[in-house]
Parts: sequence; C-alpha cells; structure tokens
Amino acid sequence: MNRKEFIETLRADLKGLPQEEIDDIIYDYEEHFRIGLSQGKFEEDIARELGDPRNIAKMYKVSSKIDEAESNPSPKNLLKAMFSAMALGIFNFIIVLGPFIVIIALLIGMYGISVGLVVGGIGSIFGTILIPFSHYHVNLGFLPVTAVSLGIGLTCLGVLLFMASLYLTKLLYRGTVKYLKWNIDTIKK
Amino acid sequence: MNIQFKKGVLELCVLSMLLERDYYGYELVEHISKHIDISEGTIYPLLRRLKTDGFVKTYLEESQEGPPRKYYTITEEGKKACDELIFEWNHFVQGVNTIIKGDRHE
Repeated sequence: MNRKEFIETLRADLKGLPQEEIDDIIYDYEEHFRIGLSQGKFEEDIARELGDPRNIAKMYKVSSKIDEAESNPSPKNLLKAMFSAMALGIFNFIIVLGPFIVIIALLIGMYGISVGLVVGGIGSIFGTILIPFSHYHVNLGFLPVTAVSLGIGLTCLGVLLFMASLYLTKLLYRGTVKYLKWNIDTIKK
Repeated sequence: MNIQFKKGVLELCVLSMLLERDYYGYELVEHISKHIDISEGTIYPLLRRLKTDGFVKTYLEESQEGPPRKYYTITEEGKKACDELIFEWNHFVQGVNTIIKGDRHE
C-alpha cells in the first residue's frame, strides 16, 4: 500500500465523523508520510509500519462515539458507542453483554415496581376518599384512616424507589462509558 | 509480549516524553516504536484522545520543509495524570519484581 492508497482508505473509513475532524486526522498522517519520506523511507514501508488504515479509522470512530455518548447522554448514543467498540473487537461482548442485559432488566423491574406502588397508593387514597360519593366500593376491612395512610405510605415508597432507579440508571450509564473508555486503551498489534 | 500488559502503558510513554519537551507526532511515534513493538498508527488515535481529555494541546509551527508541523505539548492536567501513572507503574513493577525475585520466605 502506498501513501495515496493509505490516505484514501483512511479518509473513506472515517466517513461519518465531522469533516473538520477528518481533515485534522488526515493532516497527522500526511505529515507522518512527509517526514518519513524526507528521511529516505519508502511509502510502502511507512504504510506498513503504521498498520491497517481500516483499523486506525475504527479506533477514531469508537473514540468519537464514546465522547458523543458522554457529552450527549442517550440510550441511542450509548448503544452506538457499544456497537462500535464491539466492531473493534476490544472486548468479548458475550461475557460483557450478559450481565449488562441482566442489570437493565433489573432496572426495568424496579421502575415497574415503583410505578405500581405509586398507582396502588394513589388508588388507595382516592378510593377511600371517594367512598361516600360512590355506590360501588370494595371494602377491605380497613378503617378509612388506615387506608389513606397506607396509600400515602405506598406512594412515598414508590416515588423513592423511582428516584433510586433514576440514580442507578445514571450510575450504570456513566459506568458503561467509563468501561468503554478503559477498554479502548488496549494497544493492539 | 502479551497485549494485556500494554494497556495504558502507551499513554504513560507519550505523556512522560512530553514532560521533557514538545514533540511533533513523527518524533513521538518513532521514539516509542523503537522501544516498544506496536503498530505506529495506534499512537495518533491515542494523541487525539489525550487532546480530547485535555491532557495535551497542539500548535502548528513552521518548518523548513513543507507545511507547518503539528506539535504536541502537555497541559497542567496532563502533568498531574502523568505523575499518577508513573506512580502506579512503579508500584506495579516493584510488586512484580518482588514476586519474580522469589521473596517468599518469611
């Protein structure tokens, strides 16, 4: 592979990054070739020592996606970063993905329970208050005061659990980004 | 050498070189690949990451031959990170050496 082929492959594979960033990256490699040539090296040798431009492009892309996931948090951006990291083959995604999915499932469960608690709590409060105005009602044998207090308690518990879930979600997000960053530091031959 | 061993080491190499003086990319790459067996192309993505993380900055300087060269310089934050990495590295190497030398008799 000569200089032109190397640069063109790299540029093509960097597609999707901001143009400004691509130009800046290409500048580094143009400079590298220029100095190498001025020291009497051959284009082919410089290109070989640099390594496969497709892999190099992947390294830039995964970095840029992780930065995007960090500065612009969204599930979509996180997934993009994870998939591009997988494409680079820097971690065994079967081992990582299993626990990740379990944690996500647990979180979804927690959200479900918290919503259930709030709905149940509010139902218990208003169900009791509205008894005098309704013809039909289910009497569980609680005193109205007990039922209302129980409702308030459940609602508070639900809200607390929801807030805890939100906090854990944020923690998981940050942890995942950190893990990805740590992984891209692996030096590949 | 096992790939796992090299994790983070390259970052340490780049930052500690920049502690001495500013370098342009080619010099950094040439010096590191002289001592460590790596694909040279992996150093530029690392430099870019260090720049995004605020550990290094770049500036262009005119050269006699051709367009201006891009120089890399370490920031205060980078110096701090480098000190930490050097400390961790020495600690690690000391630990491994102690084990290798067979310091197992109490």
